[in-house]
Amino acid sequence: MIPKPIRLTTIIEGIIMNIYKKWFWPLVAPALILFAAVVLVPFIVGFVNSFLAWRGTYYFNPETNSRATSFFQSFVGLTNYKEAFQDERFMNAFWYTIKYAIVAVISINVVALALAVFLDSISKGAGPFRTIFFLPNMLGGLALGFIWQFIFQIVYTDILFAPDALLHAEFLRYMTQDTTKALFALVILNVWQYAGYMMIIYTAGLNNIPTDFYEAASLDGATAWQKFRKITVPMLMSSFTICLFMVIANSFKLLDQNVALTDGDFNTRMLALQILRTTKDSTPPNYGKAQAQAVIFFVIIAIISIIQVRATSKRELEY
Amino acid sequence: MAESYTVTEGNYFRKKKIQHGILYAVLTLVAIYTLAPLYFLIVNSFKSNVEIIASPLAFPTTWTASYIVEAAKQIHFFSSLVVTAFVTVLSVLLIVLVSSIGAWIMVRNKTKASNFVYLLFTAAMLIPFQSVMYPLIQIFGDMGLKNIPGLIIMYGGFGLAMSTFLYHGFVKGVPLGVEEAALIDGCNIFQIYSNVVMPLLQSVTVTVIILNSMWIWNDYLLPFLVIGNSTVNSGGILTTHKTLTLELYFARILAGQYGNPWQLIFPSVFISIIPMVIVFLSLQKYIVKGVAAGAIKS
Repeated sequence: MIPKPIRLTTIIEGIIMNIYKKWFWPLVAPALILFAAVVLVPFIVGFVNSFLAWRGTYYFNPETNSRATSFFQSFVGLTNYKEAFQDERFMNAFWYTIKYAIVAVISINVVALALAVFLDSISKGAGPFRTIFFLPNMLGGLALGFIWQFIFQIVYTDILFAPDALLHAEFLRYMTQDTTKALFALVILNVWQYAGYMMIIYTAGLNNIPTDFYEAASLDGATAWQKFRKITVPMLMSSFTICLFMVIANSFKLLDQNVALTDGDFNTRMLALQILRTTKDSTPPNYGKAQAQAVIFFVIIAIISIIQVRATSKRELEY
Repeated sequence: MAESYTVTEGNYFRKKKIQHGILYAVLTLVAIYTLAPLYFLIVNSFKSNVEIIASPLAFPTTWTASYIVEAAKQIHFFSSLVVTAFVTVLSVLLIVLVSSIGAWIMVRNKTKASNFVYLLFTAAMLIPFQSVMYPLIQIFGDMGLKNIPGLIIMYGGFGLAMSTFLYHGFVKGVPLGVEEAALIDGCNIFQIYSNVVMPLLQSVTVTVIILNSMWIWNDYLLPFLVIGNSTVNSGGILTTHKTLTLELYFARILAGQYGNPWQLIFPSVFISIIPMVIVFLSLQKYIVKGVAAGAIKS
């Protein structure tokens, strides 16, 4: 029997696959080393440290009330976690972040989707509008936070919504000096900054919907709302997944705007800021407790992200 | 019959026209709303504190650059601009090089190890910076890397996960045939990467550059933790190596001790965002496209 001839391309493929195999570790090593040094090792060390009486520059031995000479002397079990959950400021920050996230996720996505749909339905001049709406995203949260601090403290309070103004609204005055009002101030700032970004994603999603869907619906006499409900929304499910994921993650990690607007005063600390300030709340600084909060923070973000992606991807349409 | 048809058609177009009019009006209002804070920023960068409080919305009575000059001195504008640009460019370069070559070889060498590494990077996107920052600063401090080079390495490590993920998605679309052809032409592995693969990954590279630059340029927390308010002794002269955002933060803190001197804050914010606004306006087409592409692939 004559053996099947080996094709030249198969040989070449074999050679190149061998080269890839040989070079896999050398080429992936820079990424792995960098990743290990900056993310993986600190993450593991952080997890371990959350069970220790860590004071930042040294480890404390609670039994002898002095510096620990070995790793095990500093072990305090779940004490840091217990303290974190008993810490009123941490629990406040936790609920404040949740409340903020709920309001922000809804507001940002509604505004972004509305802008995307509006821009999609005008024939001319969408480009400049898109540029303007996206612009705030390019700028830092800290810088923008300072401008908005001025807007809330002076423009809102003394001009737009003052008692003698056309539109007197006490709720919109002194927004940076009250726990609840500051939450909405943060939402206003972040809708202003972030909606343009999400709008871009929704726009890309809208462009992927075949126009004949709408034409067919129009022939059947569907109203604009029916078309939106029955075509646009189901076809945009993957955009919803992305936008919800991004806004939720961003809401939980929000820091710059929180620092710039109120700096956590009036009980307005969110989780990211709380973790940053825990080490300043006591002397000596309790890094162990801060690290326990950081681990809890990671668990919260991981759980929410996974649930959210699962829940929305299930509803994505394949076509 | 024919007449009634044209009447409804006329109605239809009139209705469309009104709808469009309303849409344009709403969009224009939103655009004004979006630009209003930037208008406040510009006009108030030329006013004294008294004038800012008295007439925050009006044009300045005289357009004087003195407040801007003062603010530029306060935030060491030129040195901090150079530091920020240096850190951003090198960090992004590091991210692009390391993640593109890593993602490429991960796609090309489909083994269990390769899949595991990819999974590791993907899962790492869930890790928030806050849960690693304290140990990170401690470890880098022990290694003598609480400085600008350390900052660049940290950005490199943090940008890696998302960038590797993006590259991974795009490399799958590069046909193996072109790489085989390059091999026959005598290219080695690095030549295949730089002459064949990278040019085909141009669009995702633009996305990776944009997303990482936006974040690194504006970041406040990492420079705050790494550099803080320290001074560097370079040749007997005490200088600071702060980024723009960090300078802005400390300028605000300092100013805050004596109330709210908006005459310092406004021009500081103004000059610190100018570079980013210029970059955006000149590259807006790529930026908007790049951002959309990045989000859709992830």
